[in-house]
Amino acid sequence: MADVLTEIVQPDDLKKFEKIYHEQLYKNDVTPKAQFEYAWCLVRSKYPTDIQKGIILLEELYKTHEEGQRDYLYFLAIGNARLKQYTKALNYVRSFLVIEPGNQQVITLQQTIKKRMEKEGLVGMAMAGGVVLAVGAIVGVGMAIASKVKS
Amino acid sequence: MDEDILTTLKILIIGESGVGKSSLLLRFTEDNFDPEQTLTIGVDFKTKKLNIDGNTVKLAIWDTAGQERFRTLTPSYYRDAQGAILVFDVSSYATFSKLSTWLNELETYSTKSNIVKMIVGNKIDVDNREVSREEAMKFARRYQTLYIEASAKTRDGVQTAFEELVHKIIQTPGLWESYASDNIHIGDREHLPRSSCASYCGLV
Ligand SMILES: Nc1nc2c(ncn2[C@@H]2O[C@H](COP(=O)(O)OP(=O)(O)OP(=O)(O)O)[C@@H](O)[C@H]2O)c(=O)[nH]1
Ligand SMILES: [Mg+2]
Repeated sequence: MADVLTEIVQPDDLKKFEKIYHEQLYKNDVTPKAQFEYAWCLVRSKYPTDIQKGIILLEELYKTHEEGQRDYLYFLAIGNARLKQYTKALNYVRSFLVIEPGNQQVITLQQTIKKRMEKEGLVGMAMAGGVVLAVGAIVGVGMAIASKVKS
Repeated sequence: MDEDILTTLKILIIGESGVGKSSLLLRFTEDNFDPEQTLTIGVDFKTKKLNIDGNTVKLAIWDTAGQERFRTLTPSYYRDAQGAILVFDVSSYATFSKLSTWLNELETYSTKSNIVKMIVGNKIDVDNREVSREEAMKFARRYQTLYIEASAKTRDGVQTAFEELVHKIIQTPGLWESYASDNIHIGDREHLPRSSCASYCGLV
């Protein structure tokens, strides 16, 4: 059964939002909305190259558009999990939960990712390896949100 | 474990932001309530098994975000849904007024013409009610949807809402397919190869 990590975007939707994004890009005037909607489609594509592209767009949004940061983090976690970059995905989840510890949706996503890893026999690996590596990248993210929440 | 499941149904929850969609779902799936429930990002997803008229069905429930900035993409999750729960907040007339917009959206984007619709008036535990039961029922009758009043906070009506919706879906011919294909008796199912999910794989 399809869940948030396996449901696939409709090709029509992907095309539609790609077109809007590219029209704005051509005019050198991309709105965060268009970029976000296109990225939301891309990370739900069945093609890894699309997902990767979506992740890049989301990372860019994350740095430039404060308002939507929690949304971008959430979809960054989804995109990375879909690419089986579970450690990275879980780090996005964790930094989200530092700011909003009770967020049910993100807790559910965390469980879904962990279940997926178990199924693929990856749990031990993530514990041993990745974590330390990714922490550095994530601390910056967490602090950026923290400062936003306070302001 | 899946042996006894009759079918998997796709259910949608839609409505204005803050009316309590995610809270109803949390109450239904985990019998829990969070007074500080945070607004949904994009869509959320939960599953739950439900026993209806002696059959177990699995529900795949998509809880959409009501906030404006997600609205352009949430309708893409309507595809193939067999049931839709349209939620409003009985203490906010504005959320009730928006129901016709949500019904229109459903009309436009749902792919099953006989999708079962249910309106849920949530937050009946609050004192300052702005929408009467009578008015909501009249509206539901006019649009031929089911109607139930509920409170995710006190549990009132929540289980009933999901049960009635599923009951109606199961009763609607052609809206869902059994896991067992036509020429195979249900009792024989465990002898089938794994790929026999052909009939339900298409549903979700
Ligand atoms: N008193 C009362 N409050 C409720 C009830 N249901 C939900 N709430 C509260 O209403 C607020 C919004 O609830 P949510 O479930 O997040 O609303 P939503 O419809 O999912 O909102 P979006 O995700 O933005 O679309 C939260 O603070 C809930 O605790 C209820 O039955 N009674
Ligand atoms: Mg919600």
